[in-house]
Amino acid sequence: MSITAMPPCQAACPIRTDVRGYVYAISKGDVSEAIRIIREVNPFPSVCGRICTRACESACRRGQIDEPIAIASLKRFASDETMEQKDIFKTGPYYTEKIAIVGGGPSGLTAAHDLALLGYNVVVYEAHDELGGMMTRGVPEYRLPKNVVMNDIERILSLGVEARTNTALGKDITVDELMKEYQAVFIALGSEKSLFPKCRGIELPGVITAVEFLKQVSRGQRPYLGQKVVIIGGGHTAIDAARTCIRLGSPDVTVLYRRTINEMPAGRIEVEEAESEGVKFRYLSAPLEFIGRGRIEKIRCTEMRFVADESRRRRLVPVEDSEFEVMADAVILAIGYNPRTDDIKDIEKISGKRGTIVVKDDTGTTNLKGVFAGGDVVSGPMSVIDAIASGKRAAIAIHRYLRSLPPKENEEPTVLKPLDEKIIPLIEKRPQQKMAQLPVEERIKNFDEVNLGFTWEQAISEAQRCLNCGAGAEISDECVSCLNCVRVCPYNVPVASEYKPKIDISQCQACGICASECPALAIDIKLDTKEQSIIKLQNAINSAKNISGNNSEIEFYCQYKKIGKPGTETSKETSIGKPCIARIDISQFIKPFEEGCKKVKILACKDNDCHFKECNKWLNKHVNEAKRILKESGLDPEQLTVVYE
Amino acid sequence: MVIAEIKSLADINEMIKSFRKIFIVGCGECVSVCLTGGQKQVELLSSALRISGRNDKEKRILKGKTISRQCEPKFLEQINKDIEESDAVLSMACGAGVQTLSEKFRKIPVFPAMDTKFIGVSDEAGNFIEMCSACGDCILSLTGGICPVTRCPKGLLNGPCGGSKNGKCEANPETPCAWLLIYEKMKELNKLEELKNINNPKDWSKNMRPGKVNAGI
Repeated sequence: MSITAMPPCQAACPIRTDVRGYVYAISKGDVSEAIRIIREVNPFPSVCGRICTRACESACRRGQIDEPIAIASLKRFASDETMEQKDIFKTGPYYTEKIAIVGGGPSGLTAAHDLALLGYNVVVYEAHDELGGMMTRGVPEYRLPKNVVMNDIERILSLGVEARTNTALGKDITVDELMKEYQAVFIALGSEKSLFPKCRGIELPGVITAVEFLKQVSRGQRPYLGQKVVIIGGGHTAIDAARTCIRLGSPDVTVLYRRTINEMPAGRIEVEEAESEGVKFRYLSAPLEFIGRGRIEKIRCTEMRFVADESRRRRLVPVEDSEFEVMADAVILAIGYNPRTDDIKDIEKISGKRGTIVVKDDTGTTNLKGVFAGGDVVSGPMSVIDAIASGKRAAIAIHRYLRSLPPKENEEPTVLKPLDEKIIPLIEKRPQQKMAQLPVEERIKNFDEVNLGFTWEQAISEAQRCLNCGAGAEISDECVSCLNCVRVCPYNVPVASEYKPKIDISQCQACGICASECPALAIDIKLDTKEQSIIKLQNAINSAKNISGNNSEIEFYCQYKKIGKPGTETSKETSIGKPCIARIDISQFIKPFEEGCKKVKILACKDNDCHFKECNKWLNKHVNEAKRILKESGLDPEQLTVVYE
Repeated sequence: MVIAEIKSLADINEMIKSFRKIFIVGCGECVSVCLTGGQKQVELLSSALRISGRNDKEKRILKGKTISRQCEPKFLEQINKDIEESDAVLSMACGAGVQTLSEKFRKIPVFPAMDTKFIGVSDEAGNFIEMCSACGDCILSLTGGICPVTRCPKGLLNGPCGGSKNGKCEANPETPCAWLLIYEKMKELNKLEELKNINNPKDWSKNMRPGKVNAGI
């Protein structure tokens, strides 16, 4: 087992966010550190905190015990709580080269962000009058408020990125022109051209594409919807359009989808939320014809069913004689999107199927020298995090191209394996925190954000559920093979091997008992290293002595029981929070007395198994041993006290 | 392995009371494994000595290091400089380690911080139990692998005696009767018949002190 194996959440994230790192920071109440970690790789935390597809949560090993960590909600918390922090690291420019980014969506803006940080001059060209792409034009405000997207975008622009809006490729500028002025071009046009079903009557007034509909609504326009609206499609955009109609006051909104809920690209939660707001769903139904005199009036539809073909793959076919009609005052089409590249003449050489741009590899390099492409224009419609990832890869590729560096090699990380079945029952169950929502009757009246975000208590409690995968025990060469770790581990993770004991980092719960019991001080816990502990303690001792001289007092408290918003009691300089009090070794209790402190107080929790197993058993052992040493050294053992709360 | 125990702080303080610069040397072998003389204990002893000397006019200067095997003079080369800078050495090793240090660094007083107890093993419940008396004439082949010389407080070669009660020894009710353990083990081995043989007195001349073994190097 590689000791450097990556937690599955991080490995699942297309931009390899250090999820464990920022979740741990939140668990200590340190949102500034959390957002610093997030922003290291992601310029859109407010966006991803709300609409990310959350591959990390599907991979989270806590899911083996109860439910995964609500990672995206924690990211949103870190971003919401630091919205006012404007400590932007402004860099360069270090290089003279100029780079043009075509497309101001998540992919283009991420590339702009990373290239600006690398020290390049970057100009973003955007066809619309506003940056953000689908983040501002496509996703409705009740799911992603425009002001939070703009907050992320403003940070990017503040790095010195220049934006030229209302400038469309193929109309106002060409790639050839750009290549004369710039040394590299990144094309990230997105994929906004709607697909139409092959039905008659598609041209009737009242039939509108979801992209156009959502764009108009985001600009304050109110397209005519009448009494009955039918949305055709089953993706996020279809649901977004349906819920938007509800908010605009439509009394009768139906989503027509040709497959079943199981095949729906939109998540089950989104469907449930839409249903609770009054949206009706009709599955296994497809339109055949749009009918109306001068305006849409009804849709002729057919029922669909799955049949297994020769290769035993399921195929969708219409059910014979199952036609039916649905009345509609308006129809919104959301069946799919292609990139809109047909009128851009000078990218013909690199264009592929369905309007996409062809790239050589995932760095976005194209057959045109100096021209790179990424995001939905290459892949077709994907999630925002995929677009961000593509922008990041392109930024690196452009930098390496301009600096004549060899291409970066792709490194596939070693990933921590799943939790052993033997360990799962030993881990305390703790349900996931549920985020508060606006009540249905209130939210259908306006576009206010539905999900209200975590409170401080919720965020810390949720972050504390994290198993800190892979941040556990490491054994150094100082090991004397006493096998005490094998004897003391509450989870039976260390094993005696032929020579030295071995600790499988993928199973270690990072409780720290083995480290505190190791006679050779050969075990360290990555989550809370000895070095960090010594520095923290010394700082606390210095503060205590500065504040109260010879009467100074040091306090240790359990991070899992007592932690709060910065500025509250636990954040005082003489208090030391520990991810479980049982891991504190005797020397930490003794050290303050060595330095002349008067008292050491330990705030422990009453439960023996609050977060890790048997914590009070080990705490008592350490305290008794420390008291014995104090007594032998001529101090009153009562100067060390434990308070159970 | 050799099992040792730390002396009381009062005893240690008494030994080093006239010295200021003290170097504590731990051992990474037996005493680390029996949890009494490794780097953790070096640091704790150093803290305890600093606290107990807090009212001294001249402050104690304490330094510590753990050597991978203190009874090996070649490993001791690495602390030459530390020894030069110290007034006294406190050894956290068994008696063999203390004497190797003392022999190697002849100009500085070397004090034992430990009492060496016996050769033993862990009972897996936090205790270390004596198993071998290093008698020089091993009879474990006759007694099912259980040593009566060490584990019977009377050292009986033919037992049990009349003081075996409910499987425990009359000398200490917590100590299991070694001869009962031998009986049960021999039964498991199907060798009960052999217990009818009378064991002759041991050849104690093989236990001549100091012991010496020529390994032929």
